[in-house]
Amino acid sequence: MTLNSLLLSVIIPTHNRRASLKRLLDALQTQSYPSDQIEVIVVADGCKDDTIAFLQSYTAPFRLCYLEQSGQGAASARNQGAAIASGELLLFLDDDVQPVSGLVEAHLQAHQQPQQVVIGYLPPRLQSDTSFFHIRLRSWWEEKFQTLAEEGHRFSYDDLLSGNFSVSADLFRQVGGFDPMFKCREDYELGMRLIQTGAQFTFAREALGYHCDEVTDLTRSLQRKRNEARADVQFGRCHPELMYKLRLSWYANPQSWFDAVLVWLTFFVPGFTDLVVYGLRSWLDVLENLRLWHAWQQLNERLHRYWYLRGAIDALKTKKALFALLQGGLMRSNESDPEIELDLQQGLERAEQQIDESRPASLRIRYGSCPLGRIPPQAGVERFRGVHLRPILGDSFAWSLFQALTLDDVMQ
Amino acid sequence: MATAILDFELSQIPPTISVSEQYRQALILLRLNGYPISRVTVPVVDGQISKPQVREAVSGAIDRSFCQRYVNHYLNWDQPYAASRSLPKATVAVTTRDRPQDLKRCLDALMQLPDDGQEILVIDNCPSTDETAAIVAEYPRVRYVREDYPGSSAARNRALREAKYDIVAFTDDDAMPDARWLRALLYNFTDPLVLCVTGLVMPLELENEAQEWFEKFTPMGRGFSRLVFDGVTHSRFRVAAVGVSANMALHRKVLEDLGAFDEALGVGTPTRCGEDHELFSRILAKGYKIIYEPAALSWHRHRRTWEETRKAHFGYGVGVYAFWTRCLLVEKDFGVVLMALGWLFCDQLPNLLRSLFRQTGSVPFDLLLAEIRGCLIGPWSYLVSRKQFIANRQSL
Repeated sequence: MTLNSLLLSVIIPTHNRRASLKRLLDALQTQSYPSDQIEVIVVADGCKDDTIAFLQSYTAPFRLCYLEQSGQGAASARNQGAAIASGELLLFLDDDVQPVSGLVEAHLQAHQQPQQVVIGYLPPRLQSDTSFFHIRLRSWWEEKFQTLAEEGHRFSYDDLLSGNFSVSADLFRQVGGFDPMFKCREDYELGMRLIQTGAQFTFAREALGYHCDEVTDLTRSLQRKRNEARADVQFGRCHPELMYKLRLSWYANPQSWFDAVLVWLTFFVPGFTDLVVYGLRSWLDVLENLRLWHAWQQLNERLHRYWYLRGAIDALKTKKALFALLQGGLMRSNESDPEIELDLQQGLERAEQQIDESRPASLRIRYGSCPLGRIPPQAGVERFRGVHLRPILGDSFAWSLFQALTLDDVMQ
Repeated sequence: MATAILDFELSQIPPTISVSEQYRQALILLRLNGYPISRVTVPVVDGQISKPQVREAVSGAIDRSFCQRYVNHYLNWDQPYAASRSLPKATVAVTTRDRPQDLKRCLDALMQLPDDGQEILVIDNCPSTDETAAIVAEYPRVRYVREDYPGSSAARNRALREAKYDIVAFTDDDAMPDARWLRALLYNFTDPLVLCVTGLVMPLELENEAQEWFEKFTPMGRGFSRLVFDGVTHSRFRVAAVGVSANMALHRKVLEDLGAFDEALGVGTPTRCGEDHELFSRILAKGYKIIYEPAALSWHRHRRTWEETRKAHFGYGVGVYAFWTRCLLVEKDFGVVLMALGWLFCDQLPNLLRSLFRQTGSVPFDLLLAEIRGCLIGPWSYLVSRKQFIANRQSL
């Protein structure tokens, strides 16, 4: 793909956020990439404010189209936008993103091959930097991006964050776009199908947009947990091989008898436990006022787990159904997945080259005659690339590798 | 009893090592590819150290972090430190007060840093003579700044305000940074949540009992593994583990996001120390991270007399309680009460008993007592110091 000659479609789903939308459109006007190569498609999803009137009167140096739909959710809105997009590359931005001027160009530059998905950097701009909840929220996001940026990170389906990412229109259509059934977690679900087709994920730190999230607070976060659980049930049904990664599996074997009793109570008398949990919610504020961070964190974690469980119960009704769902997801190893054996004594570069040539799903590693271990195939993560080798060796095989190396030194 | 300090690359330990006859043992810093990997202590006989003994000590020192570093070296993973191109630029700040000889040694060491365009500042805190200014004048690359409000906290705040670059690496005047010190600190700032990085401190000399005790009971180094203190998971009051301000770098974001050092705390004020721990604590409380990076090595000259060591212990007690008083009064953080009780019952009292019954390896009784005396007057000294500070600022 040659830069500066390619048409790029920016797709923005929006829902009653005219002011943020304006901020985003204004920022798109000042991009370093030429405006005549940018097409912006706004999909107003169930907007009750004057978003449409605003879009009608908005003048922009780029081609601006808009669509309306009646509140089917962001996944469906993004698909609608992609359907009328004429660009070769689709860039999805959420309406509360504030991009820097180099964002579009950085996305384009990161696309080196057709099967690529570029995830941009989307650090949160917080409403408050003293509330415990927001401190945790920022930490979660930054930690996520920090992991993505690590050299040799092995990408996984849940690295796809839909707020700021780009993909070629062909690849997006090839996998069938987002699944509109998902009202939440639709990005992870798309990420899974992209990984399965062998798409190459990349993280681009320069593709920077600030996430001006003005609405997420503790109450919304608790509500969202309930929706996440419902989405996870759906997700588990679509991709049973990933069941073990979902939080759902945690509830099948609680860690202590206390948790077991809680899970049991929640299944049988949800009305009662809801009441208790509402009460505990106000305790969080008390703990925060006393600045008791660790107690707050523990209670906060428990409340989130509770609402997640409630979501799972909404979707599954009974404990039996939960077990049935989880049992459908037992790991099956696929014998046809390619596996290769590496001998590190031949040199690290040689081993990396071997991996890049065959892109295996699992690895067997030895150093001369000394076996180091095996990495089994794993669902939902990309096939191995050469760059993954050193982090894996350093993180998981340090001790056995140290023994092999020093033994080698002694022999010599 | 004195200890010789030696420094060797792991693969280049000489067959015979001779030191001055006054030493009974030697502390050896081991490096791998130039980065500290471990330290060992070996006996000295007639000024000689035998290689088998060193080898035995080294094999005894092999632990998790040793083999991790060894493997990282094999994987070529220790390279990021060496690459200077992607590193941010920094200001190096030396805070000093009437210690011309130490300062000279420190500046000589700083001249050995590879030139990555760093700015070097000397903050002369409330000097009684012009000697410091005269020394700094001999180094054309070093900028001299005079801060007249007494206190290491005021001096460090001045450095943060004066600095040309966003990252300010602090070294005390009685420390001597290694040539790779600055790069190793800076490498850690790629994570936007990291606001502070501390480094490894080794003793510059162990010539007498006072220095030996200091190194044994209040070492400034925190080992040879890289540690991440994440405010989300690490308690804001457990800051002693984080490292020391004699060897640390701060991002200037602290000024906007958290506020500067509390100038009522620190060396040179009635509270005697504590401003560094207090800032570490606020960094963690806001969910930011502090990294301990052992590759960032500095050598520190410990206090030379017993009296000074005892004063340091007393000052430590005062500083900790002054800092906790601030948490309670200014930030209304009640977690501090639990922390104080925990320290008293799980650490101070058992230590005091152990020392009273003269168990082997226990801390000298007078040092412990000095520390506890310090704790008792800590809260009061904070109030006094704060009052002084407010009065002074008003008169300015």
